[in-house]
Amino acid sequence: MQNYVTLTIDGAPVRASRADSVLDVAIEYGICIPHLCHVPTISDLGACRLCIVEHVQNGRSKVTTSCTLRVQEDMVIRTNTDKIRKLRRNIAELLVAEAPNSRAVQDIALRCGVKQVRYPFRNKTCTLCGRCVRLCAELWGARAIGFVGRGKDRRVDFPFGVRPDFCKECNSCIDLCPMTITPCDGPMKTGEERLCGKCEGQLLMNENFPDFCVWCALGEGFGCARHA
Amino acid sequence: MIITSLLQVKHRDHTGLHMRELTMSVKSLDVIVEGRRSQPQQLIEVLQDVQDLCGYIPRESMITVSKELGVPLIEVYRVASFYKAFSLVPSGKHVITVCLGTACHVRGARRMVDQVAGQLGVSPGGTTSDGLFTVECVNCLGACALGPVVVLDGVYYDKMTPRKLSRLIDSVRAADSEGRANA
Repeated sequence: MQNYVTLTIDGAPVRASRADSVLDVAIEYGICIPHLCHVPTISDLGACRLCIVEHVQNGRSKVTTSCTLRVQEDMVIRTNTDKIRKLRRNIAELLVAEAPNSRAVQDIALRCGVKQVRYPFRNKTCTLCGRCVRLCAELWGARAIGFVGRGKDRRVDFPFGVRPDFCKECNSCIDLCPMTITPCDGPMKTGEERLCGKCEGQLLMNENFPDFCVWCALGEGFGCARHA
Repeated sequence: MIITSLLQVKHRDHTGLHMRELTMSVKSLDVIVEGRRSQPQQLIEVLQDVQDLCGYIPRESMITVSKELGVPLIEVYRVASFYKAFSLVPSGKHVITVCLGTACHVRGARRMVDQVAGQLGVSPGGTTSDGLFTVECVNCLGACALGPVVVLDGVYYDKMTPRKLSRLIDSVRAADSEGRANA
């Protein structure tokens, strides 16, 4: 069995090993797909929906998250079409409205081209990206935290809301959390939430070369796999 | 499946619930888990049986299920908190379910909720302080032609009005106090 496949991402033929996800390959080849919930070495969930791409098959394109899409032979992927940019901008807008109090989320909104937020700010403390849950389960095997509830009541919690003995407070869940990176101007109070957008200059290069990773410092904020 | 288990409300004796239920759950939980040990895929079935047995899913039973099935405790809690068929708090002796589906809503199901809430002093999802009634709302029972539908302990009451509902609650309460006096 061949261990490598050839696929096309934004018109560029790339070679990837069979088990990789499209997002991993794109990052490896310097094609920028914004992402939040993806952490290298941890399984992917497709929770944040930011890494959506168009998968063209038999002349039809299907929008799907690239982190949960395995590479296949002769795949055709488009990461930067108008449709994708529009969808991604809306997802980022919803994210920043939900949890504006984080430099990581603000950076992502900027990177995805959000100019204004049409939704009411909620100032939640969690984006439900599931980084902490997957880290606890997969890296440490502890499973001390997990998703609880359903729909709008879904949250990350301990079993019965009590910290179990086997949680050793390693705090690696906090290290990975995008909400722990406070905005440069300090935490926003309720009622004062806004779109930050001060680092717009970072993206000048990106406007000229839209699909290429320009190693923007914004990536550091949200723990872009490029910087990890 | 989920809807039927929701409607199959078993009669539960609320008096001395705590002691009896503890001994009962330890004994019958063994029966439920028997033959399904170390089979994580049986989690939902086991939780459904626990729900049928106790009327809710007690914390202790979740810990036992987690150990016996080899499922992490958070996973058991996640599943139990996710599905609407599982309740994490004990429900009352009688369960009143008000249908709020479109047809029932149009025919005034909101008035039934108001009536129940006013008469029993609990909002939907709550249990009265004497543990006699639990009030629930569902989105459709599939009996739209009979709306507004109210279900009391698995029995459907069609074309309800606030007055009929009030009498129904009173009759249940009277029957209950009578039964207690006789016992």
